[in-house]
Order: sequence, then C-alpha cells, then structure tokens
Amino acid sequence: MPTIISHSLPADHVAPDALLGIPRQQSNPSRWQGGQWHEFVQALQQVGIDIQQQAHSTGIYITDAGGLAHGLPHGVVIAQSAEQIASLMQTAQRFAVPVTTRGGGLTTEGESVAFGGVLLDMTGMSRVLEVDHKALTVRTQAGIFWHHLAEELRRDGLDYLSAPLNLTSSVGGTLGVGGIDVNSSKHGCSADQALALQVVTPTGEIVECSDAMNHALFERVILGYGQFGIITEALLKIRPYTPLRMHYFYYNSLHPCVEDLLMLDRSESCDYTGILTMMDSAITLLVAFDSVERETAFMAQMKGGLRGYGEFMFALRLAASFILRPWAWKEALFLLQRKRELFPDLQPVHHMQDGVMYDRTAVFSKAVWKHWGERQMVIPDLATSADKFIEAVERGNAVCRNYFPYYTLYCVGIRLRADHQAHYELSSIPSDAQGWAYGCEFEPMYNGQEYSRDTLQSFKNDIYDVGVELETSYYRFGGMMKGYIRRALGDAVVEKHLKLKQQADPAMILNRDVIF
Amino acid sequence: MRKVDVIIVGASLAAAAAAKRLVDAGLETVILEKQQLPRHKICSGILSPRGHRFLIENFGALPRKVLHEPTSCRGVTFHFPSMLSMSMDFFGGPTPHLHRKYADHWAIKQSHGEVMDETSFLSLTQSDDHVMVRARKRGGDSFQIQCRYVIGADGPVSPVLRSLYPSYHKDIPMFFVGQKFHEIIDCPLDEDYFHFWFHPDLGHYTWSHARDGRQIVGVGYKVGDKFHERHAYVANYFKQKHGVHLKPADVDHEGCSENFGPSLINRYVFGKGRVLITGQATGFLNMIGEGMSCALHSGAIAGESIVDAIFHQQPVQEIYRSNIASEVRRTTDQWNPLKIAFAKPHEADFPKALMSMPMQDRLILMRDIWRFVKLYKEFKWGRQIAALSMQRLFRGDYSQKNWL
Repeated sequence: MPTIISHSLPADHVAPDALLGIPRQQSNPSRWQGGQWHEFVQALQQVGIDIQQQAHSTGIYITDAGGLAHGLPHGVVIAQSAEQIASLMQTAQRFAVPVTTRGGGLTTEGESVAFGGVLLDMTGMSRVLEVDHKALTVRTQAGIFWHHLAEELRRDGLDYLSAPLNLTSSVGGTLGVGGIDVNSSKHGCSADQALALQVVTPTGEIVECSDAMNHALFERVILGYGQFGIITEALLKIRPYTPLRMHYFYYNSLHPCVEDLLMLDRSESCDYTGILTMMDSAITLLVAFDSVERETAFMAQMKGGLRGYGEFMFALRLAASFILRPWAWKEALFLLQRKRELFPDLQPVHHMQDGVMYDRTAVFSKAVWKHWGERQMVIPDLATSADKFIEAVERGNAVCRNYFPYYTLYCVGIRLRADHQAHYELSSIPSDAQGWAYGCEFEPMYNGQEYSRDTLQSFKNDIYDVGVELETSYYRFGGMMKGYIRRALGDAVVEKHLKLKQQADPAMILNRDVIF
Repeated sequence: MRKVDVIIVGASLAAAAAAKRLVDAGLETVILEKQQLPRHKICSGILSPRGHRFLIENFGALPRKVLHEPTSCRGVTFHFPSMLSMSMDFFGGPTPHLHRKYADHWAIKQSHGEVMDETSFLSLTQSDDHVMVRARKRGGDSFQIQCRYVIGADGPVSPVLRSLYPSYHKDIPMFFVGQKFHEIIDCPLDEDYFHFWFHPDLGHYTWSHARDGRQIVGVGYKVGDKFHERHAYVANYFKQKHGVHLKPADVDHEGCSENFGPSLINRYVFGKGRVLITGQATGFLNMIGEGMSCALHSGAIAGESIVDAIFHQQPVQEIYRSNIASEVRRTTDQWNPLKIAFAKPHEADFPKALMSMPMQDRLILMRDIWRFVKLYKEFKWGRQIAALSMQRLFRGDYSQKNWL
C-alpha cells in the first residue's frame, strides 16, 4: 500500500515535514516481498503468458538511464498485444502483484525500475499501424521509439510534431510524462500531439479514449505517469517533414539570454528555440526555422533586437576577458576543448546540406548521449511560469556551481493548450503558467569524477528546494523525487488523484511508488 | 551449507543502509548481529540533517519510539575556556535525537534484510569467487555460510576489519568516550542544543545534552586515562563555571572505544578483495563526532558497489573506492582548514557565527581554539592536514594512496 503522510505540519520537529517544511516521504520504495508470486506465475501460465524469471533476463532491467536506483523484478513479461497485457493486469490485480511498465527506460529517478513484481517491457509492441496522409495522423503501437517512428514517417515525407531529444524514448512513456523538444514553444509538449489512445486499464480492460470518447480516462492517462493505464496504441498528429535552418547566438551571462528566449517565444517568430549553456560565461541561444521565409523574416525583423553575438565576435570578447585573468585559463581551455568536440557533432557534415540540417533527431540525440550521457544521469529541473523563469534559472545555476566545476543548463519553452488544462493537472506544468510554461534542466558534467548517489541526491534536493521556495513545479517529480509532489501540486490535487487511482487500481499495483 | 549473496556483519545504521540497497536489487542478504535485537547502543543519538534526510527517503517517517526526549536538536553550542560561547543552528532544520536501540532495529526491519541475531562473526576466508564466513549462534556450535561478498559494518573495533588487518587497531590512536546520566537539579544549558567544550583541561571530546529528563555528561580522551576521574573533573567544571547542578550520576554509565583520526588525515580503510568495510569502522567521523550520517551514506555506497559489481561484473574494491571518493571529500573537508575558512563543509554555519561576534571576542575565541587544538599535537596530524588541504586545493580531490 502507498505511504500516505499527514498533511498538516506536526508539532514534532523531526516528523516527515520537518526538513525545510517539505513533506518528504519515503522515496526509495521498499522491495515487494513476493507474496503469492508462485501462484501468480502459475495463473499467468494458464492464460498463456510467458514470464521470464532467470537472472539473465531480469538483470538487464536492474536500473534506468539515471543509473542511481537499482531494483530487480521477480519476472519480466515482453508486451505482445493489448489482450495479453489485459490478461496480465487481471491476474496481477487478483494476486496483488506490482506491475512496472518500461519503454526505453529513460527515466532518471527509478520510475521504470521494478522493485520486485513484474516488469512489463513495452518495446515488444513497436509497429507503426497506419499512416493517414490526408488527415496527417499516424496510429502506432506505444512501445515504439521516436526515432523508429521518425524513420517510418520520413519515407512518406512526414514527421512527428515534437519528441524528446533522445533516440530511445518510447512513444507510450513520453505521452505518460510530457516530453519536450526545441520546438515545444511552438507545438507544446510531446503528449499534446496525441489525438486518441488505446489503453489497458489497471484492472485489465481495453479502452479506446480521446477528447470525444472516454475523455476522463484520456485526461488521466496523458501526463498521468503511468498511474491510470498502460498505453498500448496511440493516434498522433503529424506534419510534413521540413529540414532545419539553424542559428546560434552566444551570450556571456544568463540573464539577457533568458530574456531574449522569452521575447522570441512571445513573438512567435521562430520555429525552434532553446538555451544550452557551456559555462556561466558561455551560453548559447539556439533558434531554427522550418522554411526560408520564416528565416528571412526573422533575420530582417528580430535578429537586431537580440543581445547575443555571432561566434567570431563572441570568441574575441571571451579572449579579451580571459587575457587579463590567467587563473581562469583552465576554463578557457575547457571552452576550447568543448568547442572542438561538441560543435562538429551539432553540425555533422553528413547530416547537413547548404547550411540546412536534416535528421535533427539523430543529430541532437547522438550529441546528447555522446557529450552528456554518463553512467549516472542526474538532471534535476525546474518548471515555472514565464515570470519566475529567470530567477529559477539563476538560482538553480548557483546550486550547480556549489556542486560541480562544469555543468550544462538546457532551457526550453512549452506552449500550453488551453483545451488541455485538465491533462496538465497532475503534471509538471505549473498551475500559474499562462500561454507558455518554461523548463530548465540542470545537468552536471562529471569529467571522470565519481559522485556518490547521495551527493547527487543532495544536489537534486537543493535544486528542488529552490522550486519549493519559488512555489513552482518540476518535470522529474516521480520516483526518488516524489517527496516534492505535494508541495509542487498541493495536497488537494494529489488527494483527488490518489482517490481516482484507488478506484481505478484497487490493489494499487500499476507503477506503484512512482507518484503516490 | 547455506549460500547467500551478501553477509553484513553488525546490525547498525550502516548495515541497514547497505541491506536496503542490496535487498532492493534482489540480492539475498543476511545480517549477523552478536546481540539480541533490539540491542542497546552507546551514542549521543544526535543525527546530522543529512542523515535525517537519508532516513526519511529510504526508510520512511520516523516512528516516535525511535526518538529520545527531547525528540530533536536545533544545533550545536560551543563553549570555550574564556567563557565565551556560540550557538549555531543546523542548516537543514532541527534533527532527530535518535534512541539507537530502537532506531537501528527499525531501520534494519525497514531494509527487509534477513537478520541472524545473537550470532557472532568468528572468521572469514576469501576465495576467487566467494567468501566463507564462520559464525556462532549464542550457546550453539560454530557454523559456516558461503557468500559472494561480506560487508563489515561492525563499528570502530570491527572484528571483520581485524580479520583482514590484525594489527590495524594497534597502529592508530584509539580514544575512549564515556557518558554518565544525571538527574537534573538545575541546568542552564539550553536543552535544544548539543553542547561541546573546546577546553584542553577537560579532555579531547567533552559534551553535554539532555535526554529523557536527565543530563548527559560525556568525556572523551586517549585510551589509558581513568573514566571516573575524568568525568568527576568535568562534572565539577560544569557546576563551577556554568552553574549546572546535577545529582550524582546514575549507575547506568557507559563507554566505548573510538577510532577518531582517520577522517582528519585521509587514512580510511575500505577492505580487501570481496570484503568491504563500511560505517565508522572505515574511520568516517564528522566534525562534532557524529558518525551516524557517514555510516548511513557509506553503508549505502557499499551496498551500491556490490550491486554494481554483480550486475556489471567488475571488481568490487575498485568500484567501492571510486564510489566512496565523494563521501571521503565531504567528510575530510570538514577537517580541512581551508574549507572551514572559505567553504561551508559543515551542516551549521561556523564562520557566520564567528563573524557575528565582536572582534575582540573573535580573537579570544581563536586563541582558545588554538590552545585546544594543541592538545592533539602528540598525534602529529598538523602537517598531514596542511598537506591534505593543499592536495585538495590543487588536485580537487584527496589521494587514495593511503587508504587500506
């Protein structure tokens, strides 16, 4: 059963609420102890479901991309069909066996790690079912990775709207948590492109849902952190494929760069925007366009208003600033090395033609894994309204400086859909955000240095404590960070969803300990 | 003969943290404890805020039973021979005053590790792919268990450590800390704080705080002195200088050996082969002598390292030593004068409290601290600490060369 903590601040200083008044709770869940496992396995075999229990099968799911939480499932089921998953869920409810779903396993807080019970590997369901060229929609199985979907769509000159900059995140997993891309300021979060879903409920019913049909379930499953159902198929909105016309502007401090990002998003003059920092004094604003017309209009009307520099001018200014500070030459060397290694990977010759980038998913994903992928990936973040964003970025940056010599901030805007307010209720979208929400991820670069899990946990807590003080939200608030959920969303919202969850999942077995 | 994945010796907080990580990862884990659980444990029980957070995140909200009265501690008060004193609140808010007997037992139960209590560790033999552990149940015959890895979480005089390095404890200075409990007649010391004396005449480690209606008078000194005389001297000092009127000590006084020193000079011991040493046995100790948070974190790291070793098939010592490096940095930073002056390595703000005093008091206080530090001169740690400070400044890290 989930841990339900008391909500009022108790008189006792060392009760769960005592740490800076944050209602933290046990966020590294206890392993499920295996009650009725053998009976459960027998029942599964009777309905023809294959479950793998050998260590060589379960061991590969020991951790997620975060690499911090380690948990071993008792058994693994590879998803094959909605009917198979429905049978699995019916049996799991009967024996109260936890089921943890996993697509690409790209969670960072152990959300897709099974602390005992069944791990349901959704990558077994990864076929594209139907592409509708007229209506511009695709129906696909939900275990498919975005890059695989992109490949299939590209054959017909089509593309998805928005997906995480990561080759191996699954469609179902992304729709469950949100997903951001450098075009999210235009198209919204990845979850917003879903038009309809086929869902297996925690009690094992197969239900089709959309804004028009079973809308309550649709609202809960989209951005629902896997609590209200397993997405087996998705109908997604798509668009004609366009290559990318990229431009980079360089800044030597965060404040003007973030202000320019906010201004550009409001002006709707760019199709892609984002900030990527290399150091506190070297910050990149990325802008890109889907067409020559948009690019030309931006260059004529908007470029002059930006406070960033081109690469050459920025290099000159940096050189001037370093020349009088010999003690900072180590930083200069780091920047030079970064430029030499990272820049070619962001504009690789084989993906570029006449300054235009083809296959942005492949380019960005490879660069992300190559330059930021580590054995342990810790990416705490803050999600705020436009008004609070600059303060959140600057304070989070100060926390990074306390912990690591080098780190990267990745900032992006997320266009909100007024008709999807209900979807956002139990999500990272802060309730005070109007028009756009903003997210900033803080990612340490280890440079060969090892950090203990708890050092990284302290770092995450310090970033999230900034969010507590700013009364805002987070993207990665499940799993190990779930102690912050009540403060971010408020007790009323969490209680409401907990009641809904208890109705939908009486044994509380589907993705337990992720949120509640 | 029984075969398990991991045997942990000792049922302490370090053991609970290690067991938590191992059990979560699906490894069969057995905890050997020589006493019957719940067992008594000598400890001030004042946990640091970082340790408090670890307990909540890993084991859940603290039940009332695991706390003494007062249930929490706001911070630390330092007292000096010049009769100056300074109070500092913990950064993370008040922290629990743990009743170790029940807190340790609760954490062990929450970890879901299998406990064999009243079972003493006797010896171990390492092979290429396993370790044979010999143990004895109280009143029974000795028996063997085979495991893949052993974690020694058995405190400052660790028998597991002794089985690896028989002369280790003879080669480092050992201290004795003892506490007596007094009924209170009148005690002006604020019961919300942990009180510590920087006074060379009182001993190497002198403290006092309230517990369950009584006042603790604690003394620490190099092994060889007499506890009762030391204690009487300190109790009399408290009475004369601080007006602390206490009844004669109750009969339930207690004491234990401490391996104070390895944290200062970065001479930790982390084990050999398939045997990992963790918790206070390694030498981890925070500046005010708090070892519980280090125990929790190093225990967890030991558990994580074994999980890594098993699932990534790498040598466990290599992984443990690379994973523990950040805990070493954090702990040794607390004793590093450069870090104390320019960073904030502690969980309370000493530089701020110091700077809030008048200049004249600051000078007196620094003089008092210097006189107190001279008490440790005989251990010849000064140059080593200075060298380590430079190492940290220029390399960004402490060397692993002197670890055992």
